[in-house]
Amino acid sequence: MAFNKITMLEYRAYEQIERYLNGGMAPEEQVSFEALLRNDPRLVEQVHEHRQLLQAMHQYGRRQLLTSKLNSLHNAIETETAATVAPVAEVATTGWRVFINRHAQTMAVAASVSLLSVFGAQWSVQQLKKPVQQQTVRYVELRREVERLKKAQTEIINGINDASKPVAPRSATFSGTGFAISTDGYLVTNSHVVEGGDSIYIENKSGLKYKVSEVYRDQIHDLSILKVEDPGFTGFGKLPYTFKTNESDLGEHVFTLGYPREDIVFGEGSLSSTSGFEGDTTSYQISIPLNPGNSGGPLLDDKGNLIGVISGKQAGQEGAAFAIKSTYLMQMIEELPRTALLAPMSLPANNTLIGSSRPQQLKKLKEYVFVVKVYN
Amino acid sequence: MNGMKKRLYETDEAIMEGIRHDEDAALAQLYKLHFPMISHFILSNSGTDDEAKDIYQEGIIVFYEKIKENRLELSCQIKTYLYSVCRRLWLKRLAEKGRFASKLDDSESFVSVEEDIPHHEEQERQFNVMTEALEQVGEPCRSLLEDFYIRMQNMQDITDKFGYINTDTAKNQKYKCLQRLKKLFFTTYKPEV
Repeated sequence: MAFNKITMLEYRAYEQIERYLNGGMAPEEQVSFEALLRNDPRLVEQVHEHRQLLQAMHQYGRRQLLTSKLNSLHNAIETETAATVAPVAEVATTGWRVFINRHAQTMAVAASVSLLSVFGAQWSVQQLKKPVQQQTVRYVELRREVERLKKAQTEIINGINDASKPVAPRSATFSGTGFAISTDGYLVTNSHVVEGGDSIYIENKSGLKYKVSEVYRDQIHDLSILKVEDPGFTGFGKLPYTFKTNESDLGEHVFTLGYPREDIVFGEGSLSSTSGFEGDTTSYQISIPLNPGNSGGPLLDDKGNLIGVISGKQAGQEGAAFAIKSTYLMQMIEELPRTALLAPMSLPANNTLIGSSRPQQLKKLKEYVFVVKVYN
Repeated sequence: MNGMKKRLYETDEAIMEGIRHDEDAALAQLYKLHFPMISHFILSNSGTDDEAKDIYQEGIIVFYEKIKENRLELSCQIKTYLYSVCRRLWLKRLAEKGRFASKLDDSESFVSVEEDIPHHEEQERQFNVMTEALEQVGEPCRSLLEDFYIRMQNMQDITDKFGYINTDTAKNQKYKCLQRLKKLFFTTYKPEV
């Protein structure tokens, strides 16, 4: 390292101050350091500044954490009140009725004018939307509507096996797939998977189950960031894959893991186009047969790089599925501290899938792929 | 299992005890309990939903940090304290917006919280300067410093994560980053000692 003499001295002083402040000094070293402090007002000043800087950083960290907790609490309240708004509106209408009776005549004229303009506007908006709707009909989002019958059946079987179970679990309304993006509890899935849900749970193959909340949504790219909320959660452990930051090549072998049914399912194919549905440059076309429930799953290449997020397929055409490119995911993650005031997350830096056989890769990977269950 | 025991936070004391022990459920209970009161207060004093959320969260932060720093000697209910803090914060916000409230529409009684506000404002200022400094220090410095000093990760993990050759290189980098942060922080932040 190109250290000159002065900075070397400064570095040593800093290193000592750091150990002094975090209690990492041996007793005799501490005694001699404190002796130095008594005679060196500049050193005293440096220690003071260092301590203050660390305190400010800790305060910053604590505040960030608290704010994110408060925001998710607030969101929970908002969804709760949204559900109870209906009866309130009814009370309000009775008040209106009195008013309407009094002013019926004047209002009739005004109403006919405003009705005309409202419906006129709506009609033209619908006309505008029409061609768009026709197009999107061919694009199918792969979120799975959980078949209630089947679920009820397994519940009955569970009931036989485990009679002590007090309450039957509520069955999820929708399900999709999601995967971990950082050790500290962040995951990604498609926005359309979690849309309209008021509680979200994730579960993996080894039975780990957590409650999560949606902390960020990017509707345009159809990506949502989820965060594990359970207080007992200690981290996912080291993720085995890394995110690819540049575009993948045509013809590369790709694969995914997902939950199109109660069990995890592997799918394999190749990258068939570097653009997605209707020439969408933010996604890839892939030739993997996919089913509802696969949405939000990870798309990886042979080397175990994460290259995309499964999002949908073209209706009536097998083998034309789409995945959002990882570059857009990365871009969103990078912007999160600013857009959602989240602490920057520590993304995985080591790819431990590289060079392993496919079954070995899947063994590692499946721990980090979750079924996302959405209740509403 | 003891950890599974469902705790109820029915009294002010239980809530404060819960917060002291970092129990998220206590914070959740507190948050839910008093939001309608503050929301009503802000909305009936020319504020919006977003402002109600802002002010309420700031009030909760004042209360929370006071508990955490063991500075709390509550001589009234939590409800009254939160109302008083939020009321004070809202008056200030109105003044900043040039909308002086001649008379606030109060629905609750309140106490004086004047001595808590300067401390909170100082904390707020420090937080803002640190936010700005961390932003300016850039990547990978920011993540490196946050990983080490805030998330308390060890040097080996950081070395691996950022792909440094060895821990010495990582330490060296951390030193340079910290020096930059220090400079950025102290050029704006002059603490009132």
